[in-house]
Amino acid sequence: MDVLAQQLFNGLTVGSVYSLVALGLTLVYGILHIPNFAHGALYMVGGYVTLMAMALLGMPYFVAMAVSIVVVGAIAMLMERIVFHPLRHSPPIHDKIAAIGILLFLEALVQFIWGAEYRAMSTPFADTVSFLGITVTWQRVMIIVAAVIAMLLLQLFLKKTMVGSAIVAMSQNREGAFLVGINANRVAMLTFFISGALAAIAASIASPINLVYPGMGHLVILKAFVIIIIGGMGSVPGAIVGGYILGFSESLGATFISSAYSDLIAFLLLVIILTIRPQGLFVKKGAH
Amino acid sequence: MLKLRDVSVRYGMYEALADVSLSVAEGELVVLLGANGAGKSTIFRTISGLNKPTQGEVTLHKKSIGGRSASRLVKMGIGHCPEGRKLFPQMSVFENLKMGAYAVRRNKKATSDVLAQVYELFPILKDKQKENAGSLSGGQQQMLAIGRSLMSRPKVVLFDEPSIGLAPLITKQVFDVIEEINKQGTTVLLAEQNANAALRIADRGYVIENGRIVIEALGNSCWKMMKFEKPILVRN
Repeated sequence: MDVLAQQLFNGLTVGSVYSLVALGLTLVYGILHIPNFAHGALYMVGGYVTLMAMALLGMPYFVAMAVSIVVVGAIAMLMERIVFHPLRHSPPIHDKIAAIGILLFLEALVQFIWGAEYRAMSTPFADTVSFLGITVTWQRVMIIVAAVIAMLLLQLFLKKTMVGSAIVAMSQNREGAFLVGINANRVAMLTFFISGALAAIAASIASPINLVYPGMGHLVILKAFVIIIIGGMGSVPGAIVGGYILGFSESLGATFISSAYSDLIAFLLLVIILTIRPQGLFVKKGAH
Repeated sequence: MLKLRDVSVRYGMYEALADVSLSVAEGELVVLLGANGAGKSTIFRTISGLNKPTQGEVTLHKKSIGGRSASRLVKMGIGHCPEGRKLFPQMSVFENLKMGAYAVRRNKKATSDVLAQVYELFPILKDKQKENAGSLSGGQQQMLAIGRSLMSRPKVVLFDEPSIGLAPLITKQVFDVIEEINKQGTTVLLAEQNANAALRIADRGYVIENGRIVIEALGNSCWKMMKFEKPILVRN
């Protein structure tokens, strides 16, 4: 029973990080129809900025995280202006090629500046806590709390503000959004900023329990794509629920099947969803 | 008030509009008639900034507006109720109407006044204000699309085939409301295939065929000319 509780908690931790990354990816896809393969690189840069702000500038953990949110958000916005905006009337394949180009560029740049070695990120939440028969570090508790707060704030922003509603409107009907006076450029930049900020938060909270290295975004972005396919491309609730489904499946699969297969589970889920419900769990048939 | 002078629009090699000239005076209700694919929607999209004219000039109050962004044109007073409605299906009726006032959102008092007027024109929208737009019937969705296009308090509003797919009773209700909107002082440009109903409420009419204006006349004369020259449009 304790093992099950421990694994459920691990699933919740991993799922929280996955959901945050997938949220950024699905926002950009839902609104701008860009499958941003470079999102994994934003996650990686987020980890590095937090780490370096702490290590080189001596900033406290949460201040470093705030700096990372602003820096990665700004990089994502620049990415939209410099690369994706000029390609908006090009065939869709151009966006995909450009995204892969940005991914390779950012990875090479980070490797050039900080090298390729694996680095550990310190945290003020390294102590452990025991409850319900399980023992976890405070960092894992913080991951869940921070992710839930970030998701709630995002939901509040999208639901309760006019600017947030403009993003939702644009995801539901692009032309309708133009006709009520929504500025497409501003929405595109803001969406990219939020997407980058979410990647930075995810990387900053996950890095203390993993490691920081130039390739740290590879598997995360692959899984984020699996999640948004499970939840439905462009669906915000789909990304959140999909992230937790994957987190729990991996965690329980690693315990009750084999930890060697934990990464395989994501792709097994992908095959199952594509076979029985290709549009995803939260998107109606033919919506995209 | 609103003028198109020798406007052409090309989609690649295809010429969707060729030297279209038309005008709508302040307070007028002008109807644009034509079959499917004649170019009515392209004219509307060009006026509201969704398409850029390849040549010619679009002016509003003698100011050139051709090529400006749709969001800018909403602020300048152009409302567009598009073909296919283009609603936000997972937003409530109230949220759709609220988004209609996005361009003028800082003026909260005016927005709530217009909202009250829209609910007066379409009481059903008030009853269903919490329901998702996607769950409404076709007629109710059309009413919502019309209501949303009025929320920015436009000086001129473009209605693109508002009767399409609607039952005759609802069509009559929609045309009555469009006439009422015009009587309240809003300039209206209406694109229709339903010549009978449209010309009944119009001051003037244009007929468009293959991207060219082929008839321009007052409401009654337009009807008579069409009966002889374009009987296929009058039959419906």
